[in-house]
Amino acid sequence: MRKAEARVAIAGAQLVSSLVRSLGIGEGAALPGRLLIRLYPGVISELSKSLPAVLISGTNAKTTTTALTKEALSGSFNVTSNTTGANMDTGIAFSLTTRKGTTAGKDLAVFEVDEAYLPDIGSKLETKIVALLNLSRDQLDRVSETRMTASKWSSFFQKNPHITVVANCDDPLVVFAAQSASEVLWVSAGLNFFQDAYSCPVCGGEIDFSDSGWRCTCGFSRPLADIEVSGNTVSVFGKGIEMNLSLPGQCNVANSAIALGVCQVLEVDLDSAARRMSSISEVAGRYKRVSIDGHEVRMLLSKNPAGWVEVFDMVGDDSSVVVAINAQTADGKDPSWLWDVPFELLRGKEVFASGERAYDLSVRLHYAEVSHRVEKDSLEALRACGAKDVSFVGNYTSFQQLRNRLQGNNGSLVSFIRRLGNRVLG
Amino acid sequence: MREKIKVVSVLPNLLGTYGDSGNAVVVSKRLALRGFKVDLVRADLKSGVPTDADFYLIGGGEDGPQARAAEFLAIGSPLERALDKGAALLAVCAGFQILGRSFIGPDMEPRDGIGVFGCRTHRFEGPRSVGELIVDPGDAMPGVPMLTGYENHQGITELLDGTRPLGVVRTGNGNNFGPRVDGGVIGRAIGTYMHGPVLARNPKFCDYFLSLVIGQVDPIRDVALENSHDRLYFERINQVLKD
Ligand SMILES: [Zn+2]
Repeated sequence: MRKAEARVAIAGAQLVSSLVRSLGIGEGAALPGRLLIRLYPGVISELSKSLPAVLISGTNAKTTTTALTKEALSGSFNVTSNTTGANMDTGIAFSLTTRKGTTAGKDLAVFEVDEAYLPDIGSKLETKIVALLNLSRDQLDRVSETRMTASKWSSFFQKNPHITVVANCDDPLVVFAAQSASEVLWVSAGLNFFQDAYSCPVCGGEIDFSDSGWRCTCGFSRPLADIEVSGNTVSVFGKGIEMNLSLPGQCNVANSAIALGVCQVLEVDLDSAARRMSSISEVAGRYKRVSIDGHEVRMLLSKNPAGWVEVFDMVGDDSSVVVAINAQTADGKDPSWLWDVPFELLRGKEVFASGERAYDLSVRLHYAEVSHRVEKDSLEALRACGAKDVSFVGNYTSFQQLRNRLQGNNGSLVSFIRRLGNRVLG
Repeated sequence: MREKIKVVSVLPNLLGTYGDSGNAVVVSKRLALRGFKVDLVRADLKSGVPTDADFYLIGGGEDGPQARAAEFLAIGSPLERALDKGAALLAVCAGFQILGRSFIGPDMEPRDGIGVFGCRTHRFEGPRSVGELIVDPGDAMPGVPMLTGYENHQGITELLDGTRPLGVVRTGNGNNFGPRVDGGVIGRAIGTYMHGPVLARNPKFCDYFLSLVIGQVDPIRDVALENSHDRLYFERINQVLKD
């Protein structure tokens, strides 16, 4: 592609992006990214020349860990990142048009990458480090098997021995994939959901979990951790780093441990990285409290059973909880995973079942013996809460819908423009 | 208090991908609400599968764990022995496949199944069957209306002699072979491609399943619970038939 044509494609995508953002109908990366790839197919490889990349992938906590890692590295590098969560080829293509700086040795990309796209995107970029968080059931109608994903990751690392992997050694599927890399830093970042980890990816047997780790009769077992978490302290090769995060929950300390692992590989000063990370108090609208008609609402996003384990940790003392479940394409159209979530933990709170699939949730809550009311409209449910401090927990599209409404955006306009864009781009 | 009932969730660590463990929860609770004392057992590779229980529930899973489960359940035939003693069994998706005469292993080669159901499962070369599945059981199960669930599989399941289908497919693929039917029924064993989990979506189907062992079932007096079931059931049926 000629330079002038490339420039036109980029300018066009950026124009669409600012239009999307000024209309308040999205973060402005996915749709312009599709346009960009359509007009300029080689865009990812070409715009990422001499831009070393750190990729962060896994089922849960990608967006938060990417935000933490980006912040931790920003003291030492000009970081280009996709902080809005657009993590497929389209989002990454668009993020590259916002590339920061052109100083050799100082430029770096930190991208969150969808687990199914990791091998493809990782091959197009100058990938230096891959951080692997976890792998568990999510959107089973789209990504059919966790074990298949782990195998694809594994052969990607085999083909790319120059990549250093920072991997969660508590997740057997992650370890299975990471052990084919030539260089691995093991982080004990915890495992929230065991159901997808019991079956050994090596031999098909049943893995035995204990407090000291996990092992299978075939010999596949948990590697020794280089980085460990204990309360608020992250220990990196024995050196203790105090984390004073503004983000709530123990799981975010674990996410920051992964970020510190990346910093360690890049030889960034860990104490200043930790200080930088403590300044983050929200990530793409999550974790923060917003005022809604006299309620202080903590906005939480959780889209699968593993994510819910973190939510129970963060809901904490809030005595009212609104749970909103949708089953659109981006959520996965099959909400049967609700039966893998231990909703019993919400007993004793004031609970509202909300969202387009509130009835599925309501049946689940009945069987968990959680008394609740059904109000499909999340905003109405929040208004009806008795307590001042409320937690709102949505899965992907129900969370975005509420966020759009709180920002005064027109939901039907959003979906109209999205449909229009999809039709035009095919 | 009525007699004690034993419910077994069969290898949930290997076969439990699509929330199917919910079926065991729904069975147990609907028994408890009718005054039975329920013992819910999670049978794993270490504990083995008991043969003295009343209800057995087995769910869906990925190819590797599915093959491992089939190998394990072939040893000592615990499910066949339990069925011979009068137990009822519900098998969903991968669980249904391995309880047939053959299924496809992770190496894409056919493997021997347990042989509870007279059926063979082959690999479908077209797209995966993913989406809402509505199955009409006709008059086969007294008091059970159309069934709603969600399917996600690559199989085509051919029913052989002695095993009749669970019902006729109205929406979706189900067995995806020959006449549009889903699942298989032989004696007190029922197989289906519907998860959701299927008993949470279809409480009358659950009650019919219970009746296979405990005889006539009384209505449940928890009105809020039954209302929540009704709302979900009619929303799913209406929504899917409309689309
Ligand atoms: Zn093993």
